[in-house]
Amino acid sequence: MGTYQKLSVQERLQLTFEAQEFLYREAELLDARRLDDWLGLLAEDIHYWMPIRRTTQAKDVHLEFTKLGGMAFFDDDLTTLTLRVKRLSVGRAWAEDPPSRTRHLISNVRISDVDDDEITVMCNFQLYRTRLNSEEDSWIGRREDVLRRVDGELKLAKRHIYLEQTVILSQNLSSIF
Amino acid sequence: MPAAIITSDRTSVDLDACYNPSTGVLDRRIFTDRLVYEEELKRIFGRGWNFICHDSQIPDPGNFFVSFIGEDEVIAVRDRTDKVNILLNSCPHRGNTVCRAELGTTKSFMCSYHGWNFDLDGSLVAVPNEEAFYKGGLDKKDWGLESAAKVESYKGFYFATLDPDAPSLLDYLGWVGKLGIDMMLVDGPIRFLDGVHKNRLKCNWKFAVDNLYDWYHVKVSHGTAFKVGLVTEEAMAPNDQMVILGEYGHGIGGPGLTVERQAEFDQRQTTGEGESQWYDLQAGHRTDPATREMLGPIGHRSFGHPNIFPNLWVTHTRQMCLRIPRGPFETEIWWFNYLPVNLPAAQSKQSIFTHNHVFGPAGFLEQDDGENWSHSTRGARGTQSKNRPLNISMGLGQDAVSTDPSGQSGIETVVNEHGQRWTYQCWKEWMQADSWQDLMNNHSTPPQGSV
Repeated sequence: MGTYQKLSVQERLQLTFEAQEFLYREAELLDARRLDDWLGLLAEDIHYWMPIRRTTQAKDVHLEFTKLGGMAFFDDDLTTLTLRVKRLSVGRAWAEDPPSRTRHLISNVRISDVDDDEITVMCNFQLYRTRLNSEEDSWIGRREDVLRRVDGELKLAKRHIYLEQTVILSQNLSSIF
Repeated sequence: MPAAIITSDRTSVDLDACYNPSTGVLDRRIFTDRLVYEEELKRIFGRGWNFICHDSQIPDPGNFFVSFIGEDEVIAVRDRTDKVNILLNSCPHRGNTVCRAELGTTKSFMCSYHGWNFDLDGSLVAVPNEEAFYKGGLDKKDWGLESAAKVESYKGFYFATLDPDAPSLLDYLGWVGKLGIDMMLVDGPIRFLDGVHKNRLKCNWKFAVDNLYDWYHVKVSHGTAFKVGLVTEEAMAPNDQMVILGEYGHGIGGPGLTVERQAEFDQRQTTGEGESQWYDLQAGHRTDPATREMLGPIGHRSFGHPNIFPNLWVTHTRQMCLRIPRGPFETEIWWFNYLPVNLPAAQSKQSIFTHNHVFGPAGFLEQDDGENWSHSTRGARGTQSKNRPLNISMGLGQDAVSTDPSGQSGIETVVNEHGQRWTYQCWKEWMQADSWQDLMNNHSTPPQGSV
């Protein structure tokens, strides 16, 4: 049994509430295009990663996702995430100018592990994006996030994003997941 | 040779007049018309040599990788004799796909419909209840998976054609196509990495293809990449350009060094003195005499983007990209990533960083490209806008092809649209030809002299 499962109901409720509050607040910042504030939620050593997914035979299902350190749609640290945000403010970021309208729906939030200063929290998400008059994209997947207590505040230290799509059905991935 | 294709809105695209090489004016309807698209699948993708996969993606018997020739799905599979077969992924019994995975390993391909089972060379080896139900009336040797008409590899790059009359792969590639592939081998043998970035754009495939020659758009479309300091403006879009044009539509366009610049680089390499320049990184991969000999006297001074006609783009980021048509209004973009076999770990890591951050749907450069190409496609759909031709005239009549005694030739100039013009000139010749013989007899040879 993991550490989290050994906690009392009250302790689990409190941790889950804290994690949910963080994730919902984060989603609000992303959808409100407050990306500089969003950067403020990130730990200095954040790893933001989305592997490539493939359709495989059931017996080859170990090949479904590319591995850490290899090919990925995102393999970002704080520096590159900051560049992604900065990119939007310097002009000519055509994928986001006019800006997309996004809505992050976060659900099935559950904590899988906890230690002294870190909470591993899983969730399902739907990121809906619409652009211009009629362009629509919808990405559904799950995330594995690690939230870390830094000076009394939770920071996002890890985000691994597993999309359900193999071929990405959108013309780009210019949103933050 | 059909002069025109009757198009779906009952007007016609005149395949000779749709591109005017003396004015650089291009009929927009070739990007959106359904019947033009159907003819492209037959006359270009069905006839040409299409890149399928690299040797290192399927190293062992039973390894397979699924790809496309136009809209025909094919399985590249290594059989037990180490031969790579390219098989149509369609059971001859009822047409069902026999392989639903993108990649993996298998002993055979069994159709999920009735259980017909095919060996790794495509031959039909087992039919359930054959004796009881077919009673000897089925000759299995006639009902294997259809193989591509020809399969050949150039230095580990496997290509296939569906046309038995196609010339050999080497004749098809010519020196320019081979040069495009050789540019990937400047640091020695390579291995492809696990993971192909795939996404879909709502654009006609040709808008994606002609863009690879386009060094005019870089500062405008990808301005954020240098504004945030990811790359320098000069390295990303230098004015020194070289264009190399090859038979059947192959080409290389983009940055290039003049003889003087090359000499200046070589001098600095020798003395260790002088200021570094935008081309040092690329030129640094071609200092080995054997590499220079492989690329040739003009080729080794080109850092441009090769396109192996019709749809294989080679970049200098150790990546290459297929643009797979999905109807006139949709294209699937596949980024293959590779590394030199002997690259040290730290450099491999750096290269993988580039693979994951420059191109692909989340890439700092490429996320903005789809926006342009899909809107160019959209702009060719209106009844009025589709009748307004496009302008690909930049540099027309203002440059000259210089030919080296070795036979290599190139156009040394500034930013231009020679590559785009050559692409559409060749495209219309492919579209007008009725057979490979017709194409061989009637295609343009790359221009000499004034262009």
